[in-house]
Amino acid sequence: MSLKIAVVTDSNSSMSMEEAKELGIHMLPMPFFIGGKEYLDGVTLTHEEFYERLKGGDEIHTSQPSPDSVMKLWDELLQEYDEIVHIPMSSGLSGSTGSAYLLAQHYDDKVQVVDNQRISVTLRQSCLDALELAGRGMNARQIKDELERVKFESSIYIMINTLEYLKKGGRLTPAAAAIGTILRIKPVLQIQGEKLDSFAKTRTLQGGKEIMINAIRKDMETRFGCTENFHNVHLEMAYTYDLEEAEKFKEELSAAFPGYEICMRPLSLSIACHIGPGALAVAVSKKI
Amino acid sequence: MAVKEIDVKLFAKMFLAGAKYLDNSKEEINELNVFPVPDGDTGTNMTMTIVSAAKEVRDLGEDPDMKSLCKAMSGGSLRGARGNSGVILSQLLRGFTKAVRDEQVITVPLFGAACTKAVETAYKAVMKPTEGTILTVARGMGEKAAELIEDGADDFETIIPALYEHGNAVLAQTPELLPVLKQAGVVDSGGAGLMKVIQGALDMFQGKEIDLTISDDPIAKPDDSRPGKAADIQKNIYHTQMKTSISKPVNRQLESDVKSYLASIGELIAFKADDNEVYLEMNTDDPGLVVQKALKFGILSDVKITCRVQNKTADQSASAPAPEEPKGEPSEFGFVAVSAGDGLADIFRSLGVDHVIEGGQTMNPSTADILDAIEKVNAKTVFVLPNNKNIIMAANQARDLTTEKTVLVIPTKTIPQGITAAINFSDGSSADENEQTMIEAIGTVKTGEITYAVRDTNIDDHDIRKGDFMGIGDKKILSVGTDMDQVVIEMITAMVDDSSELISLYYGADVSDGDAGALKDKIAERFPGLDVDIQRGGQPVYYYITSVE
Repeated sequence: MSLKIAVVTDSNSSMSMEEAKELGIHMLPMPFFIGGKEYLDGVTLTHEEFYERLKGGDEIHTSQPSPDSVMKLWDELLQEYDEIVHIPMSSGLSGSTGSAYLLAQHYDDKVQVVDNQRISVTLRQSCLDALELAGRGMNARQIKDELERVKFESSIYIMINTLEYLKKGGRLTPAAAAIGTILRIKPVLQIQGEKLDSFAKTRTLQGGKEIMINAIRKDMETRFGCTENFHNVHLEMAYTYDLEEAEKFKEELSAAFPGYEICMRPLSLSIACHIGPGALAVAVSKKI
Repeated sequence: MAVKEIDVKLFAKMFLAGAKYLDNSKEEINELNVFPVPDGDTGTNMTMTIVSAAKEVRDLGEDPDMKSLCKAMSGGSLRGARGNSGVILSQLLRGFTKAVRDEQVITVPLFGAACTKAVETAYKAVMKPTEGTILTVARGMGEKAAELIEDGADDFETIIPALYEHGNAVLAQTPELLPVLKQAGVVDSGGAGLMKVIQGALDMFQGKEIDLTISDDPIAKPDDSRPGKAADIQKNIYHTQMKTSISKPVNRQLESDVKSYLASIGELIAFKADDNEVYLEMNTDDPGLVVQKALKFGILSDVKITCRVQNKTADQSASAPAPEEPKGEPSEFGFVAVSAGDGLADIFRSLGVDHVIEGGQTMNPSTADILDAIEKVNAKTVFVLPNNKNIIMAANQARDLTTEKTVLVIPTKTIPQGITAAINFSDGSSADENEQTMIEAIGTVKTGEITYAVRDTNIDDHDIRKGDFMGIGDKKILSVGTDMDQVVIEMITAMVDDSSELISLYYGADVSDGDAGALKDKIAERFPGLDVDIQRGGQPVYYYITSVE
């Protein structure tokens, strides 16, 4: 009789509460504060309301799920499950992993916190991978080890429409901050494991899309050994606010990579508040 | 008496006479400009190129040997080369001298071989040789020399006048080979410049009395120091003088504004304006500002900047005089860009360019200027953005002369292409990948520039009157008129297509912030689906440099 394992993540996995539930993943909504008031991502604030307030210039601060809410969920789950695999957003972007790791000390080995530096669509894929590994009979510890072993086997490129929000939030690495500030420039940033870093610069949407497609193609071929008929990765896409532009890009991406099923999701609000509307991202995660 | 040989002394004198003759005719060559824009400079460029060599020849003294003479001619012109015609002239000299440098005298057969070598070398230096240019004129003379010698001519008294005559005949044919020349009603300026050199050499050969004094004008290298005066001058250390040809008389208001401005940046010695020319002379700490101001009146000539402290003469397009010693470990990549105007220089610096050479269409930097800049950048690989089609060859020449570093010239023909190239650079990629990305990227940006016509003409089916504003695109004139904003908008309309996203405008030194802002609003209104970005470029001559991408 194999162990019953619960997979837990947070709303930075770009899933809605409904989707998570359908997939059998347990999700903590990320809290954030607008004008001193706390909201829960996807629970007490819709995307529409959020972007209206972001564009309106409201000060938005993000936070981690409270220890209380984390432990409450774990306690509930452990009534039904034997072990928990907890996969928070990347430790390079938030302290959630560290806090969860501390809390997990109180649960002996029953709660395994995974530090595999995924975010958004790649985090979502990690959760699916965890379920898959549990299905293969691994215990929580083994799943954690496996996911951490392959933590660098994913790649994200994200084109930011304006540097305004990143600057406001102080989330730019020095390299990214050095990007010219005189001209209107759209940076393409990359996430390989840890932090956001600058990858390339462009002045047009079309230019940015081409840069990302070329970069992903290069990763697929050189890092993940993909060929035309050997699709060794999941191809994913994320965006902030502009669904129409995202759909257009998805079509272009499909044309560039025929045969791939592209998973596209809006970026979570707690990421959106740092990069602003109009961002587009492409990602790949290597299949397990 | 038949002359069968040219000895070293005569060769040197003929060369100096050629340089001198071109120097005296440079304004005439400058006038031979296809586009009627206030930037005619072929005469200036070629003169600076050859005078740079002439000075090295002069410094050899009365009795040089063939080898040193050839080295001075070849090396001096190579380093002093400016503009495409200047670079080609330097290659002609290089080829010619290569053929004769190991001999004591130039015989007729050797002369024929040297002419052939000169033409070959020049053609090789150009990626896509265009007929109807200086190359054609040179080739015509080279072939004529071979033909004459084959037919038994063994006497320079026959050959040299015949070459001169034939060269002029080929020059007269250049409009038939190059439609833009015919349309503008001019012969090729580079070819005309070459014929001035030949004329001077011929005059000397025929024994005319010629003053061969080569003076230190602006082309001198920065380190060309001569015995100086007292070194106790600490303020306004640069003696600066220049002439500006003007197209319309200077009004009193402007004159007094300029005078008070100049007085505020140094000690004004003379400011004289008549109907054709403004002459100014002053001592200042920042000759660049004086040049900028003088450019407002028209075309510069006879720029002379002398450092009063050590009496060093400095090139007028050279940048800051203090050499920066490269320090510490070299970085992987560095950038050199050529641009005119403080705003554009700031933009390039903000994009990571290490060294901006002040120059452009009106002031082509020389190969030596570009070499200097490359040397100042402490990096293993240096990318050079010439940002002007007339500077690319000099940049390539600088690359070929660099030994310590890898130099990659990205052939940017306009400022917006240079900006696009710099933006597309990525620290994480290899030099080759970056080169390829940048070259691809410059193909995605269209450039349009606004200036005014200096004469009446008809070009690209536009009737142009002196003083009209013109919008010049990548390949042709896109709009003409008397209302500048209208000319800009028509030009942009011709540049925009379905895939366009962004219009950028860089406004020049002669455009006020208010006027530029008002034009931006008009453009935004006219092209509602496009983003409009406006920046102060501060460039001379071009009111607006725009790009659509």
